[in-house]
Amino acid sequence: MGSQKRIAKELAELTSSPPEGIMVELADEANLFEWKVYMEGPEGSPYENGEFLVKLSLPTGYPFKPPTVSFATKIYHPNITNDEKGSMCLGMLRADEWKPSSKLSAVLEFARQLLAEPMPDDAVEGRIAEQYKNDKKRYEEIAREWTHKHATPA
Amino acid sequence: MDLKEFLALEPNYDAEGQVDLRSLELVSDYDSHLMCAICHCAFVQPVRLQCDHVFCEKCLRSAITSFRSADPDGFPCPSCRTPTSHLSMSVPRLLINMCDEIQVRCPLATEGCEEVVPRGHVQSHVDKYCGYQLVPCPDESCDKMTRKKDLQTGKRCRHDYWRCSRCEEDVMEQDYEEHDKELCPSLETVCIDCGTVVLQRALKTHIEACPEVLSSCAASKYGCQVKIRRAEITTHEQQCPLVAIGPYFEAQNTRLNSLELTTRHLQQRNEIFEDGLANIRSTLVESSRIDSRRNDTAPAADAEESADRSANVFSSNATTYLLSLHESLREEVNQMSHALTDLDARASMSIMNECLRIKEDMAHTNAAVNSVRMQVQWLMNPRLHGTRTGAMRTNGTSTPGEARSQFTPSSTPGPSSAAGSSLGPLRPRRPSDTGREGTKL
Repeated sequence: MGSQKRIAKELAELTSSPPEGIMVELADEANLFEWKVYMEGPEGSPYENGEFLVKLSLPTGYPFKPPTVSFATKIYHPNITNDEKGSMCLGMLRADEWKPSSKLSAVLEFARQLLAEPMPDDAVEGRIAEQYKNDKKRYEEIAREWTHKHATPA
Repeated sequence: MDLKEFLALEPNYDAEGQVDLRSLELVSDYDSHLMCAICHCAFVQPVRLQCDHVFCEKCLRSAITSFRSADPDGFPCPSCRTPTSHLSMSVPRLLINMCDEIQVRCPLATEGCEEVVPRGHVQSHVDKYCGYQLVPCPDESCDKMTRKKDLQTGKRCRHDYWRCSRCEEDVMEQDYEEHDKELCPSLETVCIDCGTVVLQRALKTHIEACPEVLSSCAASKYGCQVKIRRAEITTHEQQCPLVAIGPYFEAQNTRLNSLELTTRHLQQRNEIFEDGLANIRSTLVESSRIDSRRNDTAPAADAEESADRSANVFSSNATTYLLSLHESLREEVNQMSHALTDLDARASMSIMNECLRIKEDMAHTNAAVNSVRMQVQWLMNPRLHGTRTGAMRTNGTSTPGEARSQFTPSSTPGPSSAAGSSLGPLRPRRPSDTGREGTKL
């Protein structure tokens, strides 16, 4: 019960004063634990002008268990798996690093920050991380292309 | 206190009739430091961990329980992850007071209570003072709840239905007063403008149409300040010059807007062009400076040029810069090739001069050598003559040159006169020496 109250509170905060480039809504009005987040690609990154659909799911043990963040929109990024799951590797979301005091707005802002500055040393897509380190130009080209192809609102 | 002891304590919240402090509606914001990091509400019965982080007792309890299931030792603080084994139930009084002072609305606001009380008093307000607290109906045969305040006028059941005399609706006695004064749809009221009596529910629609209500001219946004009764407004609008001119204003406005938009676009473009121009100019200045410096001293200029280049790469467009650099380098190469041809010409000239001089010298030396040879030969001849008898025969073959030999002594007086005096008998032999005559010529 306590978790629902906190989630409702955080949701209300996020909808009334959303962080820059982030829009939040419930995937299903009756279920507080599945969120749909629309994230704009940060300015100056190859994801600029793209709108990414991010799924945030909260465990029933929230805030004692970390939420999971996954990209429903395909994205070319070293820290996001390139499959249909699109799971995102966020340090603060690992079970042993999660703190109940972390806020969801901080999680989402951190995720967006990761779009602007990938962390190739903490990557889940080794090939993209390699390319990011060695041939940044090509990486940006592909990322921009994917953004255009998959993440551009019609 | 040990964590185990803490868990063993019987929790004293969630009791029957307890107000849930977390779901209260806040009247004002509170300091964010008073917010429990777990439930995101102001602290309720706060407890303190070893690391000085404070949480609600209930939140901490659930945090420990959910953590215990995963790992039995060293509970980490939910805020800073410091492993903790002790906690203190006592937090500064100040903290509790600040939490208790937060102004909240009575939880019975849904029943009609409009009271705003400090959070610390809300429990006692609900328990003792709030008239909207629901209590069981005093009539034992009735199982409904009744508001506390309704009991003050006498302990009796107020759950019978009364029929409203106007709208013919059945209303419970406890709600009848409210219905009679405010909610009944058949209530009548008087329009303040025209004085007609209308039904309360129809008042809104009436006000929108009431001919007596003051309304303003349609051209009010263009400055017409006329405000008259709605019935007369049409006659006014027919005469109002501002209404007549209204469409024209509209058109002008849209035109102005579009012009403004165009101007803004043009301004932006202009800025972009100016930027580009400034870039080009700076590149030009830069390259000319590099040129002049390069002409001074080559090695020093090289070092500075590289510095210039690195600076320039930051400031201006790399391509333009490279192009200009290329241009200046080409010029330099041209200059160098000019200098080379110049040098070449000069070198060949001096070589030629030197050659001429040497040639002359050689000719002189040649002549000298020849004359020496001649003299030696001439000196050797008498001896040859003396030793070889066949020498006269050679003399005979050379007779045709004898006529020429007659004037030679005058041209070379030294040796010939000396020869003449000492070698008089041998004189006719001399003209045979053609080599010497060649030198003379």
